[in-house]
Amino acid sequence: MEIPLAQEVIFGLVIGSYIALGAVGFTLVYGLVNMINFAHGEFITIGAFAGYLAVVVAGLPLPVGILVALVATAVVGWGIARITFEPMNETGAVPLLMMSIGLGFVLRNGMRVIAGPSSRRVRLDVATYRFDDLGFFVTSQQLLIIGLALAAVVVMHLFLSRTMLGIAMRATSDNEDLALVSGIDTRRIRNAVWLAASGLAGVAGVMLALSQGANPTTGFGQLLLIITAAILGGAGSPYGAVVGAYLLGIGITVSVEFLPSGLTELNATMAFVVLIVVLLIRPGGIVNTEVRTS
Amino acid sequence: MTDLTSRIEDLPGDAVHAGLIAVGAALLFLASPLFVQAPSGSLVFFEVGVLFVLYAMVLVGLNLQFGHAGLVNFGPVAFFAVGGYTAAVLTAEDPFQGVGLGLPWPVGLAAGVLAAMALGVLLGVSTLRLRDDFLAIVTLAVAEIVHGSIITFRDITGGTNGLQNVPQPVAGTTDAGGNAELVSTVLVFGAFALLFYGLFRRLSASPYGRVLRAIRADEQVTETLGKRVFRYKLVVFVYGAAVAGLAGALLVFYNGAASDTFFTIDMTVIVWVGMLIGGAGSDRGVLGGLAVIMSFQLLTRFFNDSIPFVTQDQFASIRLMLIGLLLMIIIKYRPEGIWGNADRLGVDS
Amino acid sequence: MTLLDVDGLERSFGNLVAVDGTTFDVEAGEIVGLIGPNGAGKTTTFNCISGVIDSDAGTVTFDGEDVTTVPPHGLARRGLVRTFQQTRELPTMTVEENMLLPAPDHPGERAWHAVGQTGASREREQAARERAMELLETFDLETMVEEFAGNLSGGQRKLLELARALMLDPKMLLLDEPFAGVNPSLTNEIVDHIEALNDDGLTLLIIEHELETLTELVDRLVVLADGQVLATGTPAEIMDNEEVIDAYLGG
Repeated sequence: MEIPLAQEVIFGLVIGSYIALGAVGFTLVYGLVNMINFAHGEFITIGAFAGYLAVVVAGLPLPVGILVALVATAVVGWGIARITFEPMNETGAVPLLMMSIGLGFVLRNGMRVIAGPSSRRVRLDVATYRFDDLGFFVTSQQLLIIGLALAAVVVMHLFLSRTMLGIAMRATSDNEDLALVSGIDTRRIRNAVWLAASGLAGVAGVMLALSQGANPTTGFGQLLLIITAAILGGAGSPYGAVVGAYLLGIGITVSVEFLPSGLTELNATMAFVVLIVVLLIRPGGIVNTEVRTS
Repeated sequence: MTDLTSRIEDLPGDAVHAGLIAVGAALLFLASPLFVQAPSGSLVFFEVGVLFVLYAMVLVGLNLQFGHAGLVNFGPVAFFAVGGYTAAVLTAEDPFQGVGLGLPWPVGLAAGVLAAMALGVLLGVSTLRLRDDFLAIVTLAVAEIVHGSIITFRDITGGTNGLQNVPQPVAGTTDAGGNAELVSTVLVFGAFALLFYGLFRRLSASPYGRVLRAIRADEQVTETLGKRVFRYKLVVFVYGAAVAGLAGALLVFYNGAASDTFFTIDMTVIVWVGMLIGGAGSDRGVLGGLAVIMSFQLLTRFFNDSIPFVTQDQFASIRLMLIGLLLMIIIKYRPEGIWGNADRLGVDS
Repeated sequence: MTLLDVDGLERSFGNLVAVDGTTFDVEAGEIVGLIGPNGAGKTTTFNCISGVIDSDAGTVTFDGEDVTTVPPHGLARRGLVRTFQQTRELPTMTVEENMLLPAPDHPGERAWHAVGQTGASREREQAARERAMELLETFDLETMVEEFAGNLSGGQRKLLELARALMLDPKMLLLDEPFAGVNPSLTNEIVDHIEALNDDGLTLLIIEHELETLTELVDRLVVLADGQVLATGTPAEIMDNEEVIDAYLGG
């Protein structure tokens, strides 16, 4: 069956939405803590399980469940970062990256020991709105996911542009030494970054629990897509990450239309091809940040 | 350095000589009608032993890349897989699915190495100018692309069924039945691993290795002191790719089949954790580290049955958790590894 | 004879024009100081000359050859060697390894010789080691041979960096603030070394803030302001130049 382009775009917007929330957090950590956090996917998984526990097990209404997942993941992620990454903040990018790989293993498999490998869905009553003339439909769940992501992006924008802490964060991201000299407390900023990045990951986790189910590899499965989106948008730039995420999400679904039918499984693989092509042609991404040596 | 190691270094030969002798002896043994049956019960040690010597070959290349030149290659399994599948596609006869050209195995072996090198050149030329943590991401992504392609292009690779009926030259020559072929395989592959260890050790111990360590310390200074930094990085990348491709080809010739399960990210994790435990940059140390991590895996296999209330899945997860924890502890408390040199790696411990 | 000729060099970073048509030359055997207020483009000029960054326009000619697009390793082999503002010893390598690294035309740095452990490689290594010891003795570092460079004092690192550059047998050295953060007695020591090297025919271009030391050392000064050459001349001429005084006080 031919799926109309408009429908693919909607699917792409959904995928782009949770990638966006993951990528913003990832890129904030990259820009302000100067590390590539390979355990970021596990923060998303924590959010997915927190959402499942809150909504399905505890029976809370969805908005409360989302809030619970956000706060729980923010605090847990921040706490983990304080214990693992913060004490070795000065050792450089590669040791931090390896630390995060080890942490990812511990968290992912730890959750698997407790929860088992199977997936747990957060089920909602879903209303479907059909636009048969235009050839597509959209569900209330899809609208919720897209809406949540947009709300989160607006909140992030207000935070970065209107609050002292947010402005200080942007300044630090541009030039850490200068920020230090001008009296910005970088420790406080790193705390805020970990809270924000983990909180956003928590919301992304709930979205994934809604659309795909929560299991120990929920977040890890998205990690390379998230990294791709962040680099596509320009590593370290939260706005770029949002744009990169939606480009990637729509690109993945729409490319199905154009790929020969046998190769549609290449979708996820294609994303990594995109990643490499971006790094080759314009390693700085959309906003052109510096990723080359010297 | 201890007395013992300096005395070993004073010996008239080095690992290259030992490796050449071992390769000769192993091939003679293989050609002779002699064979050794593995004692029953020790089978698992020999199976792990084959994997150890193949991973060791990958690791000597990886250690030259990361331990000496500082290149963060998180995708050694990509080259391992390309070598393995190239060899399998060229040599398999009547695989159930996918392509099998039925060519003689030496052709497959050579092509496996060349294909891995070609990937190394392609990837190296395009990405070695990136910052080291971005190189990590790209190499990791390439490994995922390779793995994804193996699954997707099932008309060529057989998809998740893999490729069957790949020639098994060592087993075919041993021709003794039982487990004799396993012993022969460990001997032959082990001899080649020793030889490659020796070759890479000579590289790292020479002025060549000095340039690599200078690149690890400060690329720009090395360049201003007259060294072609990019070319060194590329060449080292390709050497590592070649030996990983060779190991991958040997793996399919040992198994008589290629399967995507041989070439997962777990392999990358094992060699990296082995390298970091042993001490990156220490040629002998990294192999010790690999032995530590693979022994850990082997030993924990036996525990599975004796621990009640733990399912197999949980047990596997706990094992991976422990590997992750080990990695975290090493990075944090002993970043130079067990046998590494903290001054050389520029870390505080 | 003109050894280094910089003609119309330009380089911008985004909207910031760091070097804007810088033109000057250095005669063989001269010591020339490159001075100017902060942000005048001194280090960028250095980086462009030494190929560490690409220039947008202009040419650099060294020893009669256009070397504008020659990468840093090529310049080093042609005898144009630089140091960095912040001392950049290779901390994870010993003093001896730091010294042996630049040894030019070393066969042992090719894989084939390294694996084959050829005689040519051993001979070159021996010769390089002798030259390194000579230089280390000159710079009073001979007792530190086995020490990791990262464990040296700040002053010793400065000397090591200078000695290391000399391993390339350069025709010309570019020194970026050799006296920055250096105590007076070490400053005198470095000055003595530079004068001795110059007496042996080495040409030097030196960026420096410490004008007092520099004016006694150099034959000529080139003053940069806003990425352009404001004035050149002997130290005495420059010190009387109204424009230069304005630039320094105003900048």
